[in-house]
Amino acid sequence: MGRALPGNYADQETLTAALRAHWAAQHFNADRLEELHRAVKVKGRHLALPLAAYPPLDTFKKSNDAWIRVAEELGAEAVMRALDDAGLRPADVDQLVFVTVTGLATPSIDAKLVNRLGLRRDVKRLPIFGLGCVAGAAGLARLSDLMSSSPGGVGVLLSVELCSLTLQRDDLSVANAVASGIFGDGAAAVVLAGGSREVKASPRPRVVATRAAFYPDTEWVMGWDFRDTGFQVVLSAEVPRITRENIAGDVDGFLASHGLGRGDVRHWIAHTGGPRVLEAFQSALALPDGALRRSWTSLEEVGNLSSASVLFVLGDLLDSGEPRPGDLGLVVAMGPGFCAEMVLLRW
Amino acid sequence: MTAPPGPTPREKEVAAEIRRIVREQLHARTEFGDDEELASRLDSLELLSLVVAVEDRFRILLTDEDAAQARSLSDLARIVAARAPEQVAP
Repeated sequence: MGRALPGNYADQETLTAALRAHWAAQHFNADRLEELHRAVKVKGRHLALPLAAYPPLDTFKKSNDAWIRVAEELGAEAVMRALDDAGLRPADVDQLVFVTVTGLATPSIDAKLVNRLGLRRDVKRLPIFGLGCVAGAAGLARLSDLMSSSPGGVGVLLSVELCSLTLQRDDLSVANAVASGIFGDGAAAVVLAGGSREVKASPRPRVVATRAAFYPDTEWVMGWDFRDTGFQVVLSAEVPRITRENIAGDVDGFLASHGLGRGDVRHWIAHTGGPRVLEAFQSALALPDGALRRSWTSLEEVGNLSSASVLFVLGDLLDSGEPRPGDLGLVVAMGPGFCAEMVLLRW
Repeated sequence: MTAPPGPTPREKEVAAEIRRIVREQLHARTEFGDDEELASRLDSLELLSLVVAVEDRFRILLTDEDAAQARSLSDLARIVAARAPEQVAP
């Protein structure tokens, strides 16, 4: 695993103060912005650019040009760290899956990394745009599917999300106020090695199985509205309810198909959607206290990094050295669709 | 023994407007009952969203004490109607 955060860090108070003038222009009670930003339990976030560089980004082109530049830099850093961690070199990579929902590039960022990092000319690339927050888990699942036909191969999943570059400062909706309080920037890369491939890093988990769960007729819950200035967030307050109503059944069904139950899972690696989503995970799955502590800590320290978040939580778990051989872990994320993706890991 | 007084016309008007806000701005898919507990249907973030929308619509400030007293939609409508007795154009 490799993770990379931009060097520009701002605490929550600083970020809230920077947005307050916009909020006060439209809303009767500007103090509410601070209340909303406190409610999401984020202490601060890393930003693609220094705070002062954001006001001039008044068109999609300007924001997206910045996105392309920083996404390549941060993506390269995350991939190199992941390869170093696995004792591999760029030339060892056979498959590169790139996920994002915060910017557009063609050639895509993965193509730029072929040049920048010296990946092989025959590396198979798969850029995926649009899965949103679920793409950390979904990307891991899709890469695992690809790798199943390549037992000696090396695959890399890269997630880069620069949420700050999507912020629409003139969108004064409560959804945008929440989004402006919770989403941060970061990149994470995961190396998946085929079963017959030796890698340095150990002990590392194997992907046992993956499962997708789509919730019909919930397209309105989360996503983007595209406008001339970029991506405007769609974020329904019903996300926690939909999570609460569906996640236990989906997790149980997935685990049962492998002869397992929730009690067999020792490590819960949950997307840091926000306080209400994590509470929904916790209560719906009747998880013991502390089961999601790494998700809570990650949310507090860096905010919701969209698809990269669940990979950051996975990285924190790997760093902890806590997993023991034989342990099971479940990666769970939800995102636009609305949908969930799960990846079952065994150490 | 007499029944408690029903909502005034202004309170009914405010309640209808709050219902519209819940439906259109919070994207709630089902209607609220007048006396249904708000907290049983909305989580804290949703309640805060409702408060922001109500403050903007009626140009009033709602205090924590107001929020504690507004257990149901009709309670909230009563508080808002008392604070903003005149029609405020949207």
